[in-house]
Amino acid sequence: MRAGGGNDIQWCFSQVKGAVDDDVAEADIISTVEFNHSGELLATGDKGGRVVIFQQEQENKIQSHSRGEYNVYSTFQSHEPEFDYLKSLEIEEKINKIRWLPQKNAAQFLLSTNDKTIKLWKISERDKRPEGYNLKEEDGRYRDPTTVTTLRVPVFRPMDLMVEASPRRIFANAHTYHINSISINSDYETYLSADDLRINLWHLEITDRSFNIVDIKPANMEELTEVITAAEFHPNSCNTFVYSSSKGTIRLCDMRASALCDRHSKLFEEPEDPSNRSFFSEIISSISDVKFSHSGRYMMTRDYLSVKIWDLNMENRPVETYQVHEYLRSKLCSLYENDCIFDKFECCWNGSDSVVMTGSYNNFFRMFDRNTKRDITLEASRENNKPRTVLKPRKVCASGKRKKDEISVDSLDFNKKILHTAWHPKENIIAVATTNNLYIFQDKVN
Amino acid sequence: MEVQKEAQRIMTLSVWKMYHSRMQRGGLRLHRSLQLSLVMRSARELYLSAKVEALEPEVSLPPACPSDPRLHPPREVESTVETATADGEQPSPEPMDTQEAPTAEEIPAYSAPRPAKVSRKRRSSSLRDGGDAGLVPSKKARLEEKEEEEGLSSEVADRLQPPPAQAEGAFPNLARVLQRRFSGLLNCSPAAPPTAPPACEAKPACRPADSMLNVLVRTVVAF
Repeated sequence: MRAGGGNDIQWCFSQVKGAVDDDVAEADIISTVEFNHSGELLATGDKGGRVVIFQQEQENKIQSHSRGEYNVYSTFQSHEPEFDYLKSLEIEEKINKIRWLPQKNAAQFLLSTNDKTIKLWKISERDKRPEGYNLKEEDGRYRDPTTVTTLRVPVFRPMDLMVEASPRRIFANAHTYHINSISINSDYETYLSADDLRINLWHLEITDRSFNIVDIKPANMEELTEVITAAEFHPNSCNTFVYSSSKGTIRLCDMRASALCDRHSKLFEEPEDPSNRSFFSEIISSISDVKFSHSGRYMMTRDYLSVKIWDLNMENRPVETYQVHEYLRSKLCSLYENDCIFDKFECCWNGSDSVVMTGSYNNFFRMFDRNTKRDITLEASRENNKPRTVLKPRKVCASGKRKKDEISVDSLDFNKKILHTAWHPKENIIAVATTNNLYIFQDKVN
Repeated sequence: MEVQKEAQRIMTLSVWKMYHSRMQRGGLRLHRSLQLSLVMRSARELYLSAKVEALEPEVSLPPACPSDPRLHPPREVESTVETATADGEQPSPEPMDTQEAPTAEEIPAYSAPRPAKVSRKRRSSSLRDGGDAGLVPSKKARLEEKEEEEGLSSEVADRLQPPPAQAEGAFPNLARVLQRRFSGLLNCSPAAPPTAPPACEAKPACRPADSMLNVLVRTVVAF
């Protein structure tokens, strides 16, 4: 992180990607955003099953007004709609998650998943091609052998950069329920996929089988009380993973303990505050996302109203809790009516684990600095779209007199929600997805 | 009363959402279904506790209210019309008041010897009971009419409150729950034509609501 005056970062608009018009095509709705390990590539998945990868331009060393811009690098159709004839069910092509593999060679690899199938994609560049064949013309047609009078060695000549995406593995037919998470192990050989009731362990090279490592399906489905909502491998310990539930609990499992990790090693749960008990308490306590810190010491969970940081060594309560939009607590009934109460917000850490970020409504997103305990609300809007415009902090007025520049809760647009955000692993660059646009912000560079 | 109405509204809303979630692309979402059923259960508990509180003043009244299954259906229908329409329109604040005229007509049609005082009490309590029986089982009714209920149809018996322990941690099979809750309504209106018509003539508006609920339950049963 660059040290500026104080620890306060000034966020500036950098770019916005996506259609301008208000009429949002459903297929263009962004469903996942993920930086790769170096931060050079930024992938988005959408409801139409498409993956778009942006690449950061190399910094211009002379004019260091800003870091490199992200431009489209590759676009491909990852998943198509399918039909399960046995169950008469349509399988949506929406990309639920993208996870990058660390780079091992010139090519890039990522995993993308819809509700039922995970695919490993190879993205490779081609910037030269062989020319000067003896038996073939340049367009590929074979030459008449009698016209060949000399021999030459074909040489590689530069060509326009072509980025190709090809599916290398397809991991299918392992999930009865809808996949909500994928996570690559720190061994870089295996990964897990989680649906509502089960978690499977795969080897990246093997597609025809996977190991089931968690199964919470009750013998009698009438006794079902909770489902798995998210799962992630520990960033450093290849035997450890966590999964969160709809009841607000997180279980940490150790794969060395047994083949089937139904019994957790640790259970993280905070007792409910009885004063906050309401009609919808149960459903707002459902965890929508869980993310380990880069260090592996902490993990962060997001439920409907708050973000909680847990120390892996303390199970009975989180070490930090941040209220994202507490003013919504009195509006839960309306949010149930318009289905917003079911929105699944994600959360993310910055590279140094000092700041966490998550989205909210009205295209607002929030950042919480764990050290200074300060928080900020910013808006992703095309109104501020001059490059290097510093974003003005926003404030929601919960009740009473509304100050100037504050927005009242009733004026919030609940159709404009930011569910997916990502933070560059090394720099202060963030990617924020509104319904169908991707905003990129960076800190002010002096 | 407000609490009861709100709870009933939430229940209706939840059923509607469950129905709609089946129509979504990608099929039924387990997590969403679970959340909806949790809300429904909370609403039911709230409704029940509000009802119990409201009924407490009447506990001391004479329990001699012979259960007549034919009496229940029209009342269920009436209160359903009032409270559980799909668009969630709010019922009138005092169903008793609005019920007074038609019910007075009905009583002679079913069971002649009934003191007016008792029938008023019965009306109010059975309104609630009746309204509940379709949506939630009635504890009070069970206490008063234990003998009669053994002779009732199995659907009515099913409506009896399951033991709390079971209900507590249960994610009831969707079809079964709603079948239990709404079967009373189903059985009463179109399925009991001989007895229902007089009441229904008095309240023609009940028909559309019934068919709506029929559709809902049929759809859910398919699930």
